Amino acid sequence: MIALNVENLCVKADNRHLIENITFTVDEGSIVAIIGPNGAGKTTLIKAILGLIPYECGAVTLFGQSLKYADSHNKFGYVPQKLEFDRTFPLTVAELLKFTVPPIYAFPFFRRKGEEKHISELLEVVGAQKLSNRHIGSLSGGELQRVMIAKAIVNDPKILFLDEPASGVDIEGQERFYDLVRRLKREKGLTVILISHDLNIVYRFADNVICMNRKLVCSGRPEEMLTDEVIRSVYGEMMGAYIHSCHEHD
Amino acid sequence: MNMNTISEFLSYPFIQRAVIATLMVGILCPFVGNFVILRKMSFFSDAISHAAFAGIAVGAFLGIDFSLSSIIFSILIAVLIAFLSERTKLSHDTVIGITFSGAIAGGMLVIGMMKGYRADIFSFLFGDILAITNIDLLLLFAVSITSITTLLFFLKPFLQITFNRDLAKVEGINVRFFEYLLFILIAIIVTVSLKIVGIILVTSLLIVPAAAAKNLASSMKHLFGLSCFFGLISGITGLIVSVYLNTSSGPTIVLTSIGVFFLTMLKSKKIL
Repeated sequence: MIALNVENLCVKADNRHLIENITFTVDEGSIVAIIGPNGAGKTTLIKAILGLIPYECGAVTLFGQSLKYADSHNKFGYVPQKLEFDRTFPLTVAELLKFTVPPIYAFPFFRRKGEEKHISELLEVVGAQKLSNRHIGSLSGGELQRVMIAKAIVNDPKILFLDEPASGVDIEGQERFYDLVRRLKREKGLTVILISHDLNIVYRFADNVICMNRKLVCSGRPEEMLTDEVIRSVYGEMMGAYIHSCHEHD
Repeated sequence: MNMNTISEFLSYPFIQRAVIATLMVGILCPFVGNFVILRKMSFFSDAISHAAFAGIAVGAFLGIDFSLSSIIFSILIAVLIAFLSERTKLSHDTVIGITFSGAIAGGMLVIGMMKGYRADIFSFLFGDILAITNIDLLLLFAVSITSITTLLFFLKPFLQITFNRDLAKVEGINVRFFEYLLFILIAIIVTVSLKIVGIILVTSLLIVPAAAAKNLASSMKHLFGLSCFFGLISGITGLIVSVYLNTSSGPTIVLTSIGVFFLTMLKSKKIL
């Protein structure tokens, strides 16, 4: 089943196209990677789909329903590229999750039946059970990403959007992170759309890849789409050489 | 202070009203002040207090009740700030700076159009807790109950937005509605608290106890509890000290809360 259908999407700012006529579909339960150079409009695309910025033309449908009419509440989970928040915020990991758990309109400092269990189960899923009482601002990059994944899946979303989720995380942390994403896909049937600059990660973890540079350049299975020619047209000559050498080492 | 002195102190009706007002403001202002400091909005609360001054001037000019005119004016300015911040590319502090100076200039212009010196208007600059009336207390009580209930009931969306606006939006929270609601609540709370410490110092009632609590808080629950505790302690201590030393109550309360703030700084070892 098609989870997400994006048709001729374009976003403009100051009379300039940030993205133009982007069309693709995402199958339910798949991991789709969006690649492209800096300034290609990857984050803009995700933000437009999520409704964080308006789009000039095109349409987005979620499980066949137009997003303009479908209630997007609880259907998306999102882990942004750079999480901007006050690091001195005295907010614990457990509180952050508690404030995300429904019901949203309720007195939050009262204990609710099953709430703490739900939160501890979530933290266990992402391997962050020991972080429960830590301040959000004191977490390392890798720890914060795990907690943000837990926050993003609190309400059992249909699609999880990850915008360069492992940037600034060491290689071991990246491996653990993407294993977690793959496990979430397998166990919860989550559809995952992620932006990544790491083509190695894309090869290993993504079912499909979307390459873009303001416009759609390619869309399909990574092993079919990520050819030297496509990589050169997306990233330029230098990157084409890099891919070539990766293939040789493989 | 022995028991006789306390009972003598509390036997005066104006002191009783002042104590009740201090207790209410001591909880109300730091409670909303937590959002002000977490969202870095202290300049906004300053602008609102000055807008209230313009409202008082307009009220005096038109012969309307000062409380009513100042609350209406503050809400209008709060909504204008929220609207311009959302709909223009101007930064939030530029919008506040423009509306803030516009409100003050408008207020001064209206005062200039009135004959004679209006001591009743200028008394709002520094406030006087000992001049609180029963009607002021009733208004403060109504605002305290309504505001704290609203803030508590919507605490989850307010904190989600404070943490990260985009994430809150994706999670289905009506960010625009809650931002306007918070701005309006801050405007009302600032305006009803003006009589305690005056236009110039009212922002400190919001910020200082909340900032002191942030120095020590280990969680959000802790932050809200501690800030209200510091607000109450500073308010009551400042009031007692001002009566016994015959000093102005507003500045004494503010200086006491700043003293508490520095103690929390020492405790949290945040001084470099």
